[in-house]
Amino acid sequence: MNETLLWKRIWRHKLLYLFMLPGIVWFFLFSYVPLYGIQVAFRDFTFSGGFTGSPWAGMKYFQQFFDYYQSSALIRNTIIISALKLLIGFAMPILLAILLNEVRQLKFKKTVQTLSYLPYFVSWVVVVTLMQRLLTPYGGPVNDLLTSIGLLKEPIQFLNNTTWFYQIIVGSDIWKNIGWNSIIYMAAMAGIDQQLYEAAKIDGAGRFRQIWHVTLPGIRNIAVILFILATGSLMSAGYEQLLLLNGPATAAIGSVLDVHVIGAGISQGRLSYAAAVGLFQSVIALVLILTVNRIARKVSDVSLF
Amino acid sequence: MKKKRSTIANTLLVAAMMGTALMGCSDNGGGNANGGNVQTGNKEGNSGTGTEKAVTLKILHNWNGSGTGDVDVTPIAEAIKEKTGVTVQLEYTKGSETEKVNTIFATQDLPDIYTGPAWGGELDGIVKAAKEDQLVDLSDKLASYPNLSKAIAKENVPPALYEKAIGAFGDKQYLLYQNQPASDKDAMDWLYGFYVRKDIAEKIGVDPQSVKTKDDLYQFLKKIKDANLEENGMPVMPLGGFSNGWAVGIGNTMFYGSDYQDKGDGTLEHTFFTKPYEEYTLFYRKLIAEGLLDPETFTQTDPIAKEKINQGRIAVLAAHFPAIYDATKEYVKSHPGSDFVAVGPLERAGAEPNRPVDLGIQGNNVTVITKACKDVDAALKLLDYLASDEGFKLVHYGVEGVHYDMVDGKPVAKKEFFDKFAADTTGKEKKNVGIGIGFESLTGQDRTNTLGGDIWADQERVAAMDQARAILRPNGISVISAYNAGDVIAKSPQWETLKPSMDQIGDVWKEAVFAKSDEAALKVINALRDQMNSTGYAEAIAYVNENLKGKEVVKLQMAN
Repeated sequence: MNETLLWKRIWRHKLLYLFMLPGIVWFFLFSYVPLYGIQVAFRDFTFSGGFTGSPWAGMKYFQQFFDYYQSSALIRNTIIISALKLLIGFAMPILLAILLNEVRQLKFKKTVQTLSYLPYFVSWVVVVTLMQRLLTPYGGPVNDLLTSIGLLKEPIQFLNNTTWFYQIIVGSDIWKNIGWNSIIYMAAMAGIDQQLYEAAKIDGAGRFRQIWHVTLPGIRNIAVILFILATGSLMSAGYEQLLLLNGPATAAIGSVLDVHVIGAGISQGRLSYAAAVGLFQSVIALVLILTVNRIARKVSDVSLF
Repeated sequence: MKKKRSTIANTLLVAAMMGTALMGCSDNGGGNANGGNVQTGNKEGNSGTGTEKAVTLKILHNWNGSGTGDVDVTPIAEAIKEKTGVTVQLEYTKGSETEKVNTIFATQDLPDIYTGPAWGGELDGIVKAAKEDQLVDLSDKLASYPNLSKAIAKENVPPALYEKAIGAFGDKQYLLYQNQPASDKDAMDWLYGFYVRKDIAEKIGVDPQSVKTKDDLYQFLKKIKDANLEENGMPVMPLGGFSNGWAVGIGNTMFYGSDYQDKGDGTLEHTFFTKPYEEYTLFYRKLIAEGLLDPETFTQTDPIAKEKINQGRIAVLAAHFPAIYDATKEYVKSHPGSDFVAVGPLERAGAEPNRPVDLGIQGNNVTVITKACKDVDAALKLLDYLASDEGFKLVHYGVEGVHYDMVDGKPVAKKEFFDKFAADTTGKEKKNVGIGIGFESLTGQDRTNTLGGDIWADQERVAAMDQARAILRPNGISVISAYNAGDVIAKSPQWETLKPSMDQIGDVWKEAVFAKSDEAALKVINALRDQMNSTGYAEAIAYVNENLKGKEVVKLQMAN
């Protein structure tokens, strides 16, 4: 009976479900089907045996990772970088969305919105090349500007420098993603009943009070859900960005699991080991999501499931 | 009615969107219709010569930076097709060669023929592929292909390479081998070294040939730094290199002779565990810390490196001579007197001053036919033809009568083409004919000088190279024929666990030279030493010493 009701409901909203279909297919093809490859982490992968025919190796590759002298440094670096990105980078799109929401000049608002989305579509290769040219101490415009106005006595080596590494990583990540990540908050704000603002105004609330009492509660649920999802990437600091921005000078704090996995798997051909490290990342991410989801449900009644 | 139309329109729109999204997910990268490997032999059924069936074969030329010109089907490719019936589709690697080898076999996205480096992770990948039945066993076919057989005959392959790869599979034969010098006169010395801009050396009043020791080199670089030279308002960096640090580290030979050292009791130790390695690291750390070595050199891309060189912002370059000559050609043209001259010759640790320079000169290329190749005989016919004298001359000189003529038994370039190639600084004119593209890796033993020399060589370049040779090789060269401990350790039972640690030596060295202090640098090195010990180094080096007992081992070797 329930099943019939479910199908009836689906049929009634068939257009909406049709909209969802490409997303479902995408997740099925690229997130669920490849799950069978996880077994490689427990096998000695051979070219001839492939995913299913290679001999079993048990926990050998997990053991190799934990015996590796830099495994704790890799985990530590990954968590520090992704935690910084989460703590600082999570709030920034909310801030931008609130600022844009308060702009009354529609043309200006649209222009700023469009410009803020653009970096999202630029590849990290281009972004890092730009940064190399802008930040180089040998004739780079940033150093030239800062020295010419007297803020610096000597040009600074911004890249390949542990002193500036976190700032560069977090800053460039925010610059690239802030516009794109603010879209969902803008959408949530657009859904807030305008009468709430009217009522707040009548009660004497100024712009900041309105933001505090109407806008922020209006996007609270979506922010909590996005935060829960974001904790899932705590064990993943960003492969492309770190591969390109980390160098020998910053290796001690910039070597992360994502790049290690690629290096071991593709460069050294240790596919089983790479799969084991990748699986370790995923399991920790799952535990984190479940934990944060549970905490969120207790604290705010908002959760994924 | 209106609502119904709207619903239909919406449904169509959604269906179109979904279709587009799914099409985006599909493989439209040139895959074949039968879902098999895209690079399998494609028989066209037409004859090239009247007696041959025409076949298209895809060859992966696994050398980063190699590539074709603006023409897809070159006159040389046409001539090859005429002779063998094979249309060749060359595919080139962009990026790491080792990654490419691992990727093609892991994903089974295989070409018909693979050709690539005869060393390092690339060779390891090919040996692994051979062991795991990914390649075609050629043992029962080679008798019909004399040019291929000759190039892999035991006497024509360096012993270590023969044991490790070419002859490592008992009765089976998977690997073909190219570019081993056919005679002494065919041996190529790339003249690796430090080269300084002549005008800068004059400006600071130092004769580049007076720089002999590591301290001389340090003082020389410091003098350049202290001169505060500028080009277009930007500072001139005393020492730099090309992309990813290539090849600034070649000063290592001032500290140790080769990767494995005699401990003094007749047994070998990897240099990474020795005091000279620490001194070498700390020397480079000092260069970085004092601003004498461009810190961007280890992370920069090739275009950025060449931009710096073309702007005259590097005083001393470390690399091989042809790379330096080609990269500085334009700058020298517009700034006469700024050509790069060799520094030294620098001292060599453990070598008498009058000793010829020890070079490992051997073939640089291995070729295999993958299991995905549908027409192995056509592939072998093609490779055998390319390895013949006729094929060698076609690939290196062009089509006889069109691009060159034989005069008194020697090839002579046609003036029209010689001038055209010489005037083209991009090298594309040559590539458009088919010279200097992937075919050159497939022409068997290197017989460049035996068969008539490089007829396209820029005479100024040849003269400059001779000048560099006169400075850097006052006692000539000696080609290494001894055993390399590095090849033996790779056969030790501990290699599987030890290799990941040893693969990190280069990265750890770079990390150490950027350390904040000497102590921190040594700490970085010691951490990897501990890791190597815990992953079986002691047992592996004991295996090396056991297996090399009484054999002549490489203890002195310069980059080549």
